[in-house]
Amino acid sequence: MMSQHAVELCTLLIEDNFGELFARIFSTLQRYERLTLPRLRFYSGLSERQLRHGLTAMIQQHLAFHFTSVDDGNTYYEANPEAAYYLVRSGKILQLIEERLGEYAAKVMEVILFLGHASVRHLQSIPELQTVGVPVAPKPSVQTNGVSHEEDGDAENNDAENNEMELEGEGEGAQETNGDDIPEAKPAPFHSTLKALASHGYILRVKDAIFQSPSDNYLDARRTVSAKSDIKALKGKKQEEAIESATADLVNERTDYDLSEKFMYNGLPRGVKRKITNGSSGAGNKHARTNGVNGHHADDEDDEENDWSEDEDGFDNIPMESGLIVRVNYEKLDVALRNARFVDLAEQDAPDATVEVYETLLHRIEYATPRCRTDGRKKDIPREGEEGKHHSIPIEVMKIVKDLDPDLDLTGAIGPVDPQSSSSLNTRGKRPLENGVNGTHDEEDGKSIFTRMTEVNQHLSLLSQPPYNLAESHTSEGIKWYISFRDLARKLRHLELERMIESRYGDVALRVIRVLQAKGKLDEKRLQEISLLPMKDLRQTLATMQKGGFVDLQEVPKDAQRQPSKTIFLWYYDTDRVCSSILEDTYKAMSRTLQRIKTERERVRDFLEKTERTDVKGHEEHYLTELELVDLQRWRDLEALLLTEVARLDDMVAVFRDY
Amino acid sequence: MAAAADSRVAKLASKLYDACADTFDPDTLFYQPDLLDLDVVPKGDVALLLQCTQSLVDQKLFRLHQSQNRIGWKVIAREDAEKLSSLNADEALVYNVVHSTGRSGVWVRNIQHRTNLHKSILDRCLKSLEGKNYIKSIHNVRAPNRKMYMLSGLAPNEDVTGGAWFTDGVLDTNFINTVAGFIEYTVSRKSWYEVTVDRERGRSAKRVKTATGKAEVNGETPKRTFIPYPMNYKGYPSVEDITKAVNESCITPVQLHSESVIQLLQMLCYDKKLVSLGEGRCYKSVKNPDIIKALQARKTPTEGVDPAPLDILGKNGMTESPCGPCPNFKLCSPGAAISPETCEYFDPWKEKVLGF
Repeated sequence: MMSQHAVELCTLLIEDNFGELFARIFSTLQRYERLTLPRLRFYSGLSERQLRHGLTAMIQQHLAFHFTSVDDGNTYYEANPEAAYYLVRSGKILQLIEERLGEYAAKVMEVILFLGHASVRHLQSIPELQTVGVPVAPKPSVQTNGVSHEEDGDAENNDAENNEMELEGEGEGAQETNGDDIPEAKPAPFHSTLKALASHGYILRVKDAIFQSPSDNYLDARRTVSAKSDIKALKGKKQEEAIESATADLVNERTDYDLSEKFMYNGLPRGVKRKITNGSSGAGNKHARTNGVNGHHADDEDDEENDWSEDEDGFDNIPMESGLIVRVNYEKLDVALRNARFVDLAEQDAPDATVEVYETLLHRIEYATPRCRTDGRKKDIPREGEEGKHHSIPIEVMKIVKDLDPDLDLTGAIGPVDPQSSSSLNTRGKRPLENGVNGTHDEEDGKSIFTRMTEVNQHLSLLSQPPYNLAESHTSEGIKWYISFRDLARKLRHLELERMIESRYGDVALRVIRVLQAKGKLDEKRLQEISLLPMKDLRQTLATMQKGGFVDLQEVPKDAQRQPSKTIFLWYYDTDRVCSSILEDTYKAMSRTLQRIKTERERVRDFLEKTERTDVKGHEEHYLTELELVDLQRWRDLEALLLTEVARLDDMVAVFRDY
Repeated sequence: MAAAADSRVAKLASKLYDACADTFDPDTLFYQPDLLDLDVVPKGDVALLLQCTQSLVDQKLFRLHQSQNRIGWKVIAREDAEKLSSLNADEALVYNVVHSTGRSGVWVRNIQHRTNLHKSILDRCLKSLEGKNYIKSIHNVRAPNRKMYMLSGLAPNEDVTGGAWFTDGVLDTNFINTVAGFIEYTVSRKSWYEVTVDRERGRSAKRVKTATGKAEVNGETPKRTFIPYPMNYKGYPSVEDITKAVNESCITPVQLHSESVIQLLQMLCYDKKLVSLGEGRCYKSVKNPDIIKALQARKTPTEGVDPAPLDILGKNGMTESPCGPCPNFKLCSPGAAISPETCEYFDPWKEKVLGF
């Protein structure tokens, strides 16, 4: 069940992206939970025709679940707030894909996001995806000119009754974004890109179960299992256990949407770009680095993996099955986004070379991490101290060395073990020597792989130090590096909270909070002794923070009368409680910002309507005066600013809820 | 006859006193068997011994103690005895109470409770004792409002003063900040390796690139950058090193104990300025010396003038958004008195960010 602010936000997001009809249906479903079509019509006050069109498109976008009951034959509809929330993250996802897999992959992803889900055949037929090399004109994003696109209008023209059908209207919508084809454009590496996306796990196969809510899936599976004759034969507790485990298996089988395993090549996804210094990510470049088709999934232990060589180009264009229907895998993308946050943490204090080594390690780890938490997204973030350990798979140093850019300078960024011995060298302006390395520093080319491994170890052990302990290692059968996900996710949460506390209450408050966090509950005296703050400042800080809901006070009376003079007062800082209240505040702030965009748009509505006119749109320079152009630019800046703010707030939601 | 006995007792008593002063420390409590063992009183005559001790107690040369139903004594130095004998009975009573609490001091109300003197008499006694410089009043950090006394010759113990960081019972913020700043900088010098980038050499371009933004100091040539030490570096300063450095630096008027320094080091760890390695044996600084210098320089002039938030940790969505610091955020909802439509924070914010 979602909170008031989260529901408000999801409704606003849907309204912003798809228009009022969807928002109305969504909010009705949120308020009344599961509804049949007649009940939905009754509560929402919409016509049956509107509802049918709306629901169809919403199912296409995964904004609504539907389930046809075997018992009464009714079809129930239910809102899917998770998918609604992820609408806000699409920008970030596209950016990530572009960084990792190039511009064209991002374009493919954009279309998939836009369609909700789509078959390979349909994607292939979209003209926009058939060519690359089109100049990178800034695409008019969905709301650039201020008036939200009426996709639902398009959707309504479709009298689609079955959800498997692709919505032509939306397809056309996608087309519009990229008007005229440039003749010299090259054919796009469509299939290899799609395979790259699939092998990274960024897209999923669509199965029937995805259209039903998780609880329906569970109940349905349980019903199927219970009807089996061998289970019926069992009795009592045994039967219960058998049903439970068989149900879990069936649910897992039905909801196994994974595509990545099938397309992995020697334990590595295809299309991985190596760090290229010149940064060109043209199609040709990418093409050469894309892996060939090879059905088998190789095990991770395979050290002898051959290079993803050029000779496999021929396989590249073996098409994917055209009947395959794909959608975006948000869970996996959260993993990638979370890793990006870890890299940010590393960047705070570590040198650039170290950060690059760390990034390489994280990429390796990402391939083997299907979701942020092992218990899945269904449960809330575990309480602090009860979260247990969740380690990533360990990665051998050798693999990191192989993935690293061979030109990356690893020696220059770390000082010597013994500063005295090389200080004379240093005054002559020579680079500091890496004493831990076998003294082969001068011939960069002659470096053995062993030296390189030692250097990588040095860089990673730098990160393994406090305050963040970003990486950990164990040394059975050679050094392997891994990440402790729960610990780092907790540190991310604390960092976000501390940033807020610092900006609201100053660095004194920060110290107090950290003391309370380390020591638990403390009275004022002890708190003062540890934090070394004057009593006056301390009391003031604690009082304002209590007002702001960051710290709490517990009374421990010494006698039954509970007199204040005979009571011990203990201050404490409950991170879990603060996190959840900040999460709500963040939802609310996002809603408010989105609502403010509407207000701002209302203020300049007449002007915006002019820019939206069909004859003006696209030819703004021609039809608008200079002053109006300035105004338009301002409006675009303002909208971008507010949307960026929403995205920044989403970063916090991700930390508090998803990581 | 009686006089002769008295003088005999007095002689014996003074002999006993000298023997005790030689044998026992001023703080040692001794009992009757101990005195008999001294062989001063002939034939172990207990009655005579008691007469002697009584006369010594009367002369304030012995202090009587009673513990577990046994009577014991302690030696008082002759100078102190003179002091005591110059006091009147009430003053002596008070003096004894103050004396008994030693370095922890005693609260006025407790003196009153134990002596059972009237408040005005007690006040007079305390005043005269303080005037004679026999006792002094002290501040207790744990109970700043209590008036406390102790013997003037003693230094209050740590529980009373709160340790090195308190001056007259008040936390000395300036002193703490000075020492903390010094420690942070000192530790930082040893936690980062300084590299001088030589501009003439062709390599410099590469070096600058590897350290972009992080460790770079803008401005003066030759450029200095700081790079971290490897994992097996042993030069991070230990508590002893730091204590030594602080005491040699002339910034503290008194010698600091390592316990006081540890207290301060832990505070710096809570500030995330230092991190402790190996369970508090060594310390490493998070920032390099130049950044620390810059931060400390920035902090000083702004003090008192409305110090702008330093944002050392960086910003996030909630600190940037106008909703984050909004005082009425809880009340805000669309269509209400405070609403996103009528919000007065958005426009100034937008102008500030976009610059128009």
